[in-house]
Amino acid sequence: MDLETQIRDYIVSEFLSGEDVPDLTDDFDLIENGVVDSLGLVRLISHLSKTYAIPVDDIPLLPSNFRDIEHICAFIRQSPVAASG
Amino acid sequence: MPSSRLLGHLAEHAVNRSRSVALVCGDREVTYGELSGLAERYAAELTALGVTPDRPVCVPAHKSIDTIALLIACFSVGTSALVPSSELGPSALRTICEQARCSHVLTAGADGRPKWTVVDGAAPEGFEPVDPSRTKVLFTTSGSTGTPKIVPVPESAFDNFAEWATKQFALTADDVSLSYAPFNFDLSLLDVWVILRLGGRVVLVEPAASADGGRLRRLVADHGVTFVQGVPLLYQLLTEDETATFPTRTVVFTGEALPHRLLPRLVRAFPEARLYNVFGCTETNDSFIHEVDPATAGPRIPIGRPVDGVEAVLLDDDGAVIEEPGTGELLVRTPFQTSGYLQSALNDKVFRPAPDGVGGPFYRTGDMATRNADGTFVLEGRRDFQVKVRGIRTNVLEVEAVLASHPEVEAAAVVAVPDDAAGHRLHAEVERKPGSGLTSLKLRGHGAQTLPRHAIPSTIRIGDAPLPRTSTGKPDRKLIKETVMKG
Repeated sequence: MDLETQIRDYIVSEFLSGEDVPDLTDDFDLIENGVVDSLGLVRLISHLSKTYAIPVDDIPLLPSNFRDIEHICAFIRQSPVAASG
Repeated sequence: MPSSRLLGHLAEHAVNRSRSVALVCGDREVTYGELSGLAERYAAELTALGVTPDRPVCVPAHKSIDTIALLIACFSVGTSALVPSSELGPSALRTICEQARCSHVLTAGADGRPKWTVVDGAAPEGFEPVDPSRTKVLFTTSGSTGTPKIVPVPESAFDNFAEWATKQFALTADDVSLSYAPFNFDLSLLDVWVILRLGGRVVLVEPAASADGGRLRRLVADHGVTFVQGVPLLYQLLTEDETATFPTRTVVFTGEALPHRLLPRLVRAFPEARLYNVFGCTETNDSFIHEVDPATAGPRIPIGRPVDGVEAVLLDDDGAVIEEPGTGELLVRTPFQTSGYLQSALNDKVFRPAPDGVGGPFYRTGDMATRNADGTFVLEGRRDFQVKVRGIRTNVLEVEAVLASHPEVEAAAVVAVPDDAAGHRLHAEVERKPGSGLTSLKLRGHGAQTLPRHAIPSTIRIGDAPLPRTSTGKPDRKLIKETVMKG
């Protein structure tokens, strides 16, 4: 399963009560549309840290890094641990 | 800047305390001398832009040192500032700017220059003009709909409040406060402006850190914060590490009831602090205070007694004053209250003449409260459909109306579900029109146009089935809520 699909599945099950719709494009703004709020952001980051072995201290809590699926995937790809592993 | 006297104090600090740190945000610190210089540069920019006292400006509450400097600049050129949430949708922002007759929307840039847009809409009828000689700052009610109500804070109200708060919490220039709430909340009058008035230090919590317990704990510990004020969520985050303790002197919780389980955690994390439960509204500022003795506190913490100069009245269902211990709607009159909403037609609903006909109007809080035999008060909850979501007053009926305004929505019901972290979270149950392919994400996009983010429901369930109804044909909110809570 590619990274975009993994992240998408996680968003659908954790934040959208399982509702999977074509509108959830890779550039759908999750923060602007209230899907992920500040507490949700902490949950999301903790999930990324565990699943992709990114040390949590290395994760800058900038909402703009997690705005949509595209940014989340780009963030995972550029993190040093995920890149080397 | 909420008052001319505050400007005078800041001018003194710029000379006498020029090297003392006024504001901390992230890695940046500015002294009173630097803050004064920064505000002067902004003031020159404002004058060049043609900002005058004739019309207010709108300064969205971005949490930064530059926003504070920009606000000081606005007040020093004599104009009033409307300070809405920085998360307000674009159409709601335009609406309130027109209502207040703002000339510009200003955002502080990192380069010490304001970014600005000109507001050119016509002022609608029914909105009082802002008098810059009496009012320097205008807040908005948290506004769960697209049109928040504009609440002017008179200069005298701020000065009265600053004097009360300074005395009540024995605040001095040595105090360091944590500014957790956004600048558009009345809480900032205390944790930012009263502290700056005294020459103390304010540590700003950036939005990115606001849900991050580790960073919040480092901020309080590293900067030696002596005064903390916030909603229960803040204390949940600060106390989730059982080993962390802070030398803070004063801890104020407000906005919603403190969950009982947090009290022992507060005592452990703040061993030297005096703990206060404070009750207030945007329209009146702080009205009640109760110092909590953890040794004797029961599961429900009272809001205590009216603060000095505040009068409180309980009304029964017929509008008669309850003199004895009992339960009724809470009305307050404070020396800190607004002169009334800018939209004067709204005032009759919530401001009532004093029951004895003497003095100014009382504000209907919309909260039910009980007066105990010992004269202390306990809150019983809202009279209407208002709840607190992450500490922000939110009317579920208003959120419902926004969702229902989508052309493909047949009916919508919004319920507030208790949530450990957020106080409440909103759930929407939506029936779409026959043949519509409306999705929850499309409906979110529609809601985000007018709703602030906290009021966009956390979960939206959308389908073709009719909403469950009560025997009187109203959406069965109780059933919907029970279904959601069962998961």
